[in-house]
Order: sequence, then C-alpha cells, then structure tokens
Amino acid sequence: MEPIANEATAPAANIKSDSLWRRMRRDRAFYMLLAPAILIVFVFAYMPIPGILVAFKDYKVLRGFWGSEWVGLANIEKIFVLPNMILAIWNTFWISLLSLVFLFPAPIALALLLNEVRVQLFKRVVQTLFYLPHFLSWISVIGIAYAFYSIYGPLNDLRVALGGEGTERIMFMAEQSMFVPNVILLNLWKEVGWGTIIFLAAIASVDPQLYEAAHMDGANRLQQAWHITLPSIMPTVMILLILQLGNLFNVNFELIYGLQNPFINFEVIQTIVFKFGIQQGSYAIATALGFVQGIIALVLTIAANYGAKKASGVGIW
Amino acid sequence: MHYRSKAYSLFAAINIVFLTLLAAAMTFPYLNTLAIALNDGQDSMLGGITIYPREPTLDNFATIVKNAAMIKSFFISVSRVLIGTFLALVVQFFCAYAFANRNLTGRTPLLIYFMIPMFFSGGLIPTYLLYSKLGLLNHFLVYVLPGAFAFFNMIIIRTYLYTLPDSLQESARIDGASELTVLFRIIVPLCMPIVATIGLWTAVAHWNDWTTTLQFVTNPDLFVLQYKLMQLIRESDTIAALIRQAIESGETNIEQVPTTPEAIRAAQVIVTTIPIILVYPFLQKYFIKGVLIGSVKE
Repeated sequence: MEPIANEATAPAANIKSDSLWRRMRRDRAFYMLLAPAILIVFVFAYMPIPGILVAFKDYKVLRGFWGSEWVGLANIEKIFVLPNMILAIWNTFWISLLSLVFLFPAPIALALLLNEVRVQLFKRVVQTLFYLPHFLSWISVIGIAYAFYSIYGPLNDLRVALGGEGTERIMFMAEQSMFVPNVILLNLWKEVGWGTIIFLAAIASVDPQLYEAAHMDGANRLQQAWHITLPSIMPTVMILLILQLGNLFNVNFELIYGLQNPFINFEVIQTIVFKFGIQQGSYAIATALGFVQGIIALVLTIAANYGAKKASGVGIW
Repeated sequence: MHYRSKAYSLFAAINIVFLTLLAAAMTFPYLNTLAIALNDGQDSMLGGITIYPREPTLDNFATIVKNAAMIKSFFISVSRVLIGTFLALVVQFFCAYAFANRNLTGRTPLLIYFMIPMFFSGGLIPTYLLYSKLGLLNHFLVYVLPGAFAFFNMIIIRTYLYTLPDSLQESARIDGASELTVLFRIIVPLCMPIVATIGLWTAVAHWNDWTTTLQFVTNPDLFVLQYKLMQLIRESDTIAALIRQAIESGETNIEQVPTTPEAIRAAQVIVTTIPIILVYPFLQKYFIKGVLIGSVKE
C-alpha cells in the first residue's frame, strides 16, 4: 500500500491530470474502508425500497412478489375508505400538531430561564436532573408512568389528600380521554431538558458586546432577552423547526404502542402498519399506508425547507 | 450585563424556585418507581409511597433476577450492546476516515449515496419482507447489522478527523509508515474522545431498543430486556406467568404472595434502567459533546 500513500501526497495539479481509473486505483485502500458501509447501506436502506411496489399488488405470500397480481392504486384507495385508517391518519396528524405546539417551544423557554441562572453549581445540578430522562428507554418511561399513575400511586394519593377520603381513585392509564395528554406529557418529561442543550449553546455563542451595548442604551434584562437573545438564536430555532415539520407525520411509535392497553382505542399510522402488516400479514395495505405516510413526510420536509428559506433565509439544504 | 434592578432580583429568585420545583417534579416519578420496587407489593397497594420504601424488601427484584428467561434476555441485551457497538464503530470510523480524505475520487457521488436513505426508505413492511428473505427474522444479527451504519455519526467522526493536523500523518508517511500504520497507530489513538462519544451513544441506543424485537423477533430465546419490560407492561398474562414461576420455584410465598404486578413492573423498570443510571455521569458529558459537534454545520 505504500505507493498509494506516496501518490496521495502528490501535488493537486498531478491528481487532476490523472485519468479517473488511475485515481481510483490510487484510492483503492480508501474504497476498502468504505466497503462495509456501502454494503450495509445498500442492503438495509436501498434493498427494501423496491418492496414499496407491494403496495400496488394483491400480495400473496405463497405466490411471492412476481406471482402476485398488479392491482394499481386499489390498496391506496382502500386506505381512504376504511374508517379506522382515516381515523389513524387524523390521530397521527393531531398528535404531531400538539407535539409541535407544546413540545417545540418548551425547551426554548427552559433554556432562556436556565440562562438567567447565575449560580453555576445550581445550574449544573438542575441540568443533570433535567437531562436524565432522555437516556431512559420509552418503555421504561411508560413503566414509570404506570407506577406514578397507578390506583395507589402518588397522583391518586394527592387527589385523595386534596379532595378528601371519598375521592374516587382513577386508573389514569385506562382513561381514553387521558391518552393524548399523556403522550404529550411523557414526551415533555423525557425530552424537554435534553432539548435545551442546543439552545443553550446557541445562547452562549451570542456576542457579549451586544448585551453591553444594549445595557448602555438602558435596556433591562427582559428587553435584552427579547431583543438580543431571541433574535440571535432564531437561525437555530428555524433549522430545528424545519426538522420538526419534516417529522410531522412520524409520531413516536414506541410511546403510542407502549401506552396502548385494552381500555384504550387510539391508533396512529405506525401502529396500524405494524398491526395490519406484521401481526395480521396484510402486507399490501400496510405497505400502501406506510408509502402514503412517507410521501406526505417527504412533501412536508421539502415544503418546510422552502417556506423557511423564503421567510428567513435559513434552510437545511 | 451586571445590571441589577429590584424587579430583576425578584425574577431571579422566582426563577430559581421554579427551576428547583421543576427539577424535583421531574425526578420524583423515577424515585417513586424505585421506592415501589423496593417496597412490599401488598403494602404498596395501601398507597402513600413517595420516594422511600415503607416495608423494604428485595422480593420484587428476586422474582425478576432469578427468572431464567430474564437472565437469558439480560445476556442477549448485553451481547447486543457489545457486538452492535463494536461493529457500528468499526464501520462508521472506516467510512469517516475515507471521507476525511478530501482528494478521494468520487467523494461527492458517494456522499450522495449515503445521504439518499435519509429521505427515502422502504418502510416497515418492505423491510420486514426483505429480512424474511435474508433469513434475518428471529436471528441475532437483526439486532446488530442494520444499525451498523448511521450517516449522522459518520459525519460527526469525519468532522472530528478534520480537526487533526495533516502534518501528523504526513510526517509519519515520510518516516515510511504505511497507510494502515498511519490509521491504526496515529489516527485511531487520537480519536478516542470521539470514539467514546459515538460508542456510548450507540450502546445506549442498543440497550434501549425494543421495537426491533417487537417487529422482527418472535423467538423468546432472543428477547431483549427492554422487550420483556414491554411485555410486563402490556400483557397481563406475561406478568401472571412470571409471578406463578416465582411461586413455583419458591421465590415468593404462596400464602401471602407479596409481589403484585405493579411491584414487578416497577422492579423491572429499575433493572432495565440501572445500567444507564450507572454510566450517566459519562453519558451526560459525552452526549452533550456529541450534540454540539453534530449541530455544527459544514
């Protein structure tokens, strides 16, 4: 491999004049290093893509892909006719929208509050506590919620303490009306602290001279936060917002599936795809549903990026 | 900056109080689960458990820790973390090293090749059908192979490699070191901080994952610990079976059956989260570093 190394350090002018083949031969050691990654991406990211065509077939496992008949858009039409599918699409959208409204601004607000703390030790301690839930698995978070919400758990204790002995103890996890608030709440609990990191970093990189100048001009701390800190972190906020919008149709499968129980009737696209496709073997319609979701998500990402670029000049590509 | 008005001092005080309460409220549920896990199951049903056990016992943990299926799933989880993390580090590091070479022929097309899957994917069912064809369903490799490459991690490693001075490699080459010697004797040792970061990152993801088992594994011998937790939470017959096994093997007294489904669940939550809590001091440091490196745009 030594000759390769010598050529690699040759001046750029020589490299340009070499033929493609010679340059590729020179780089062969690097291609060997790339090979495992190329192979893994090819097999696990590219090879499933043609499988989307199952969505346009009357897929029968025994007949295989080529033996099954083409049915055009019939499977996709079915999605928009079956009532539980429409409901699942609506639920997916609803959870995403609520997540955006409640979960996106929360870390920004928390970061601004943390930024005002001048006692460094206190700041580090609360940050450590805020970040911890991020590292727990979603199913552990749900397990913790089961303990916290259980009939004899602290939340019911609190309700009895406040409402007197006669207060009925509620099985919160079995209440249909509590399902969506729970999804948002658990999400908030797990990720709000972690979400502050990126905003705290953005705040830390603001030029201190701006604050000094504002102070000279008589701006108080609130005005400084509003007129300097917030505009300074706006590009970061916009990029994260675009990423979020692109995920608008990707609700958290682990959280929804984990929270479901016999008392709850709440499905989103991902849970339907899993139950229809893998548990019941209705591959074609589940693929069609996943495909529709993928298309919507892709369109949303592109649209959000376009909109953000128009509005603020910030985009992710 | 050092502007101190009365109104601001008041705000600062309220802010501290608010953040303290928030931190306490966010820590409470975990401590509560720990207390329930350490408390006598029947006693917990009287309510009133906060953050310390009233009737301390290790019975709930014994029911889980002495269960053969649980022990097996613990080993599956650990093997998965070790093998999966090692594999991912090797694949991603090699790839990043190749991309860190700015003169690499075909660098841009290759980069695009790796980026496309971030926007298009086959989705769950095509993936399932492919795994079924490849024989990955109910195979240990389904845990470690598909996740061995992550574009984001590769870019972070590459960003780190850019910060190493070129002169180091050049002087080694002038001294006659081969490309592989340069990689393993000079680059890899210098990259330990980023390797630790990505390694911990990957290890936590492997430890916490249970959907892979849910979607692609039905063989109980391959269940991971987090999946067992999911079963205990979602399936009441699984938890009943666990308690029955404990009674049969004498871990739990039939006369009074101190463990309850709630107590078992709490204990299982603690068992599955303890490794994370133990390495948390390292996690926090390295993860924040990773987030910040990752957020730097090219």
